[in-house]
Amino acid sequence: MSAVPVQDLEVPTLEVRNLQTRFHTRAGVLPVVDGVSFTLGRGKVLGLVGESGSGKSVTGFSIMGLVDAPGRVEGGQVLFQGGELTQLPATERRELRGNRIAMIFQDPMATLNPVLRVDTQMIEAVKAHQRVSTEAARRHARDTLGRMGISSPEERLRAYPHQLSGGMRQRVAIAIAMLHEPDLIIADEPTTALDVTIQAQILSEVQKLVRETGTSLIWISHDLSVVASLADEIAVMYAGRIVEHGTVADVLDHPQHPYTRGLIDSLPSANARGARLRQIQGMTPSLLDMPAGCAFAPRCPHADAACEQRPGVSRPRHDAPWHEVRCFHPQRGQLAPALPDLPAALPATARVPAQEQEVPLIDLRQVAQRFGATPPLGAVGCTLRSIGLSKPPVVTHAVDGVDLSVRPGEVVGLVGESGCGKSTLGRIAAGLLTPTEGEVVVGGKPVASLSAEEQLAARLRIQMVFQDPYASLNPRLRVSRIVGEAALLHGLTDAAGQDDYVCAQLRRAGLDPALRHRYPHQFSGGQRQRIGIARALAVQPSMLVCDEAVAALDVSIQAQILNLFMDLRDQLGLAYLFISHDLGVIEHLCDRVVVMYLGRVVESAPVAELFARPAHPYTQALLAEIPSIDARRTTFSAIRGEIPSPIAPPSGCHFHPRCPQAMPRCRTEVPQLRGIAIRHATACHLYETN
Amino acid sequence: MSALKSYDERSIWWRVAADFLHSRIAVGGLVLLAVVVLAALLAPWITPQNPYDLMQLDVLDARLPPGSHSSEGGYTYWLGTDGQGRDLYSAIVYGLRISLTVGVGSALIAAVVGTLVGLVAAYAGGKVDALLMRLVDLLLSFPTILMALMILAYVGKGVGNVMLTLVLLEWAYYARTARGQALVEARREYVDAARGQGIPRWRIVTGHILPNCLPPLLVIGALQIARAITLEATLSFLGLGVPITEPSLGLLISNGYQYLLSNEYWISFFPGVALLAAIVAINLVGDQLRDVLNPRLQK
Repeated sequence: MSAVPVQDLEVPTLEVRNLQTRFHTRAGVLPVVDGVSFTLGRGKVLGLVGESGSGKSVTGFSIMGLVDAPGRVEGGQVLFQGGELTQLPATERRELRGNRIAMIFQDPMATLNPVLRVDTQMIEAVKAHQRVSTEAARRHARDTLGRMGISSPEERLRAYPHQLSGGMRQRVAIAIAMLHEPDLIIADEPTTALDVTIQAQILSEVQKLVRETGTSLIWISHDLSVVASLADEIAVMYAGRIVEHGTVADVLDHPQHPYTRGLIDSLPSANARGARLRQIQGMTPSLLDMPAGCAFAPRCPHADAACEQRPGVSRPRHDAPWHEVRCFHPQRGQLAPALPDLPAALPATARVPAQEQEVPLIDLRQVAQRFGATPPLGAVGCTLRSIGLSKPPVVTHAVDGVDLSVRPGEVVGLVGESGCGKSTLGRIAAGLLTPTEGEVVVGGKPVASLSAEEQLAARLRIQMVFQDPYASLNPRLRVSRIVGEAALLHGLTDAAGQDDYVCAQLRRAGLDPALRHRYPHQFSGGQRQRIGIARALAVQPSMLVCDEAVAALDVSIQAQILNLFMDLRDQLGLAYLFISHDLGVIEHLCDRVVVMYLGRVVESAPVAELFARPAHPYTQALLAEIPSIDARRTTFSAIRGEIPSPIAPPSGCHFHPRCPQAMPRCRTEVPQLRGIAIRHATACHLYETN
Repeated sequence: MSALKSYDERSIWWRVAADFLHSRIAVGGLVLLAVVVLAALLAPWITPQNPYDLMQLDVLDARLPPGSHSSEGGYTYWLGTDGQGRDLYSAIVYGLRISLTVGVGSALIAAVVGTLVGLVAAYAGGKVDALLMRLVDLLLSFPTILMALMILAYVGKGVGNVMLTLVLLEWAYYARTARGQALVEARREYVDAARGQGIPRWRIVTGHILPNCLPPLLVIGALQIARAITLEATLSFLGLGVPITEPSLGLLISNGYQYLLSNEYWISFFPGVALLAAIVAINLVGDQLRDVLNPRLQK
C-alpha cells in the first residue's frame, strides 16, 4: 500500500504494514496503534499528524522498537530497506538504532544527559557505531554541529546541556541524530516547545540536511501548519489509525476525510477574522471504549448506518489515485454544521472606536517588575560580597516600563516569545503580582490607593484563565467547590443558592452541570479549561486575562474554547487580555495587538493594521515566520540568533543584535514608543522623523 | 491518559485502595497488621490472664517453658511464663496494647503538631520560617536515643512521659515535610487561581494547600508509628520506659534477657517475635502507601 507514486522501483526506506501496538493496562487492553500501514521512499518527508492520544508517537516508538511495557507491538511488519525489524533480535536492532535509524524527541533536556558535557555525549554516540579515535570522533561531532548551523561549535562542545538555550539544545539533539547520517529519522514534535523564530530556524536547517543527505524523515506533529511547510506527504491519524494519507497538496487542498476537513476548518486562519470558528463537535473517544465501526463516526456529521462497519482504505480520487482515505463518505461539502445565527461577527475594527472615550477597565502605567536573584544572606553573605567572593545581586527586568490599557469589551492581544515578560505583565494585570514600579489603575483609581475592600472588588473584576488546565485546578477539590467557593465567600450567592449558581456557571462555560460533583482528574483537557473559565466567571468579572489559555489544547478543542471566549465576549461584554505566542489565534480573536520583546513593548496597533503593515522589524519577523498551511514547502528565511537572556539584555534597543536593519544608534539609544499612524505605535528608530 | 477513564472515574482514595491491593506483600502486611491491632484491641477477651493484676500471678509458675500447665491446673501456658509467673501470651497481647497506644498516639500527636508548625513556617516565611527550621535541624541532628534519654531522665518514667518524649522527638520530621510540600504546592497555579479569586490566605493554606500535602505526611506517619514503637521498646529495654508493672513488649524482652543464657529463651523470644511482626506489618503497609501515593502526587 503506497500513498504516493514510487516512480523508481528501488526498495523504499521504510514500509510499515498493518502495525498493531497495544497497551495492557489494568483498565483493559488499549489498541493504541491499530493497523497502521504506509511506505516512505528515500529522501522523503512524511508528516504524521494527529491530536493527543491518536497514537502518532507510539507509531514512531514502535518503528524504533522502543515501546515500553505495558505496551507491546503485537502485529504487523516494519520493513526497513526491505528487512523486517519486528522479529529482529534486540542486539541487531540496537545496532540499527542511532546508526541507520535515529530519533529526535520533544524535550531535549530529557534526551541530553544533564551531568555530561556535549562533547562526551557526542563522542560516545559516534563511538557506539564506529571504530574511530576519540580525536576523530570529536572532529566529526564538531563538523556535524557546524552543519546544524551552530556557530562556534567548539564552544558548544565544551558546554553542559543546561548552559545552552532550548533551541540550541534541540539542535544538539538533532546533530546527535545526524551523526551517522542515518537513512531514517523519526522526529517526535521536536519544535513544539520552541519559540516561533527558533522553530523556523530549526525547520530550515532540518530541511537543508534532509535535502543534502537523502535521509528519510518522519515528522510527528499535532500542528498541520508545521508539517505543511516541511513534508512531502501527510498522514493524518485518529484513534490509532491513519484516516487519510496523501501528498501535502492532496491532504490540505482536497481533504477527503471529514476529520481532516474539520482540522483544517478549525484553524483560525481558515476562518474569517473575528468570526466563530468552525469546530469539530465532541472529543476523541477513549481507547477503552471505541466505537465498533469508524472511530470518528460519533463526531462526524455525515455518519450513517454504513459507518457502524469499520471502513477500509479507499482511493476516491481519479486524478490522484495514491490518495488514500478510510471513510465511507469521502469528500462531502463543508464539514462544520451550519453556524448558529449569532450577531454576524462584527468586524473587529468596527467595534473598537466607539469605546475610545470610556474609562479603561485596567490601565497599567509605566509598570516594571524586577526580580532580584540574591536571597538575603545576612551577615555572612554581606561579608562574602564585600570581599568579592559573592556576586552582587542580579536584577532581572521581566517587565520594563510598560503602558497598557484595556477598555470595556475590548480584546487586547499580547504577543511575544518566551522571556519577553508577557506572562508577568498578565499576572500584574490580574493582581497576582504587585509591580515593583509604576501604577496599576483599575476603573480609574490606582489600586494602591484603594481600601482593602475596594482592592478585593478590583481583583475580582479581573480574572485569570491559566495555560495549564491540569495545574490550575486543585486536584483535591470537587468542581462544585472549585467554581463556587469564591462566589459564596464574597456573597455573590448564598449557601442555599450555591448549587444552582455553580450549575449556571458551568452551563455558561459549556459544561454539563451534572458533572459538578466530580474531581478535576476525571475531565479531559478541554473540559478542564472550561472549568477554569467557569471559575473565573463565577465572581462576575468584567475582564479575563487569558495566559496561553488554549496553547495546551488540541486543535479541534482549541477551536471550541476560542468560540466559547467569543460567545462570552458577545453575551457578557467581557474584555480580554489575551496572551499568546500563536499569532493565528491573536489575529482571529483580538481587536488590538501589543507586541513585546524582552520586557518592553515594541509595537501596538489594531489587529488589521498590525497584520497588514507591521512596522517594527521584530513584528515583521514574527509575522513572516508563522508556519501556515498556505505556506507549502517554504524555504525558511529565519531571523538570526537566539533570544537574549533577560538577565543581561542587549544595550539600547534590545532587538538590535538580531535586527536586519540595525543602525549604530540602536546599540546605544533606547527607542521610545511613538505613534506612526492612528492608534499605531512602535518603538523603533527607523520611524523617528527627526 | 484519557484512555484510563473508567479507572480514573473513581475518587482518589478509591484508586489508592485499588493500587494498594495490587501488591501481595502489602496485602500480607495489611492482614498481619489487622491481626496485631485486633489482638491488642480484644486483649481482655482473648487472654486467660490479666498480666497487670498481681493477684492472678503465681510465683510458683515462674519461668515455665511453653506448653506447661499452671500449678492450679486452670490453663496451659502456651508460650511459657516469665520471671513473675505471668502467662507470656497474655503479657504479649497486653504489651502490644501499650506499644501500639504509645506508637500510634505519639505519631498522631506529632503529626498534628509537626504539620501545624510546618504550615506556619511555610505560611509566615522569613524569620519565623528560619527559626522554626533551625530548631527542626537541631532536633534532627541529635542522636535520637541520647535525646530521648535526656528528656526521660528529666520528666521521669511512665506511659504518658514516654509519649511526650516521642512527640518531642518526632514532630520535626512532619514539620520539615509539611513545610517543603506546602512550599511546592504554594507555587502551583491553582493557588494563584485562588488568590486571584480573593480567597483569604489562611483559607488557601488550610482548604487548598493542606489537602494536597497530606499523602506524604500519611506515609511518614505510617513509618513513624513503627519508629515510635521501636523507640519505646528500646527505651523500655533500657529501663527508662513504661513501669515494670505494666510491661510493654520492650520491657518484656528486657525482663527475659537475663534468662537467655540459661536456655529460658521464650521469655525474650516471643515478645521479640510480636514486636517484629507489628513493625514489619506497619512498615510493609507504609512502604506500599508511599509507592501508591507518590507517583500520583507528581502528576
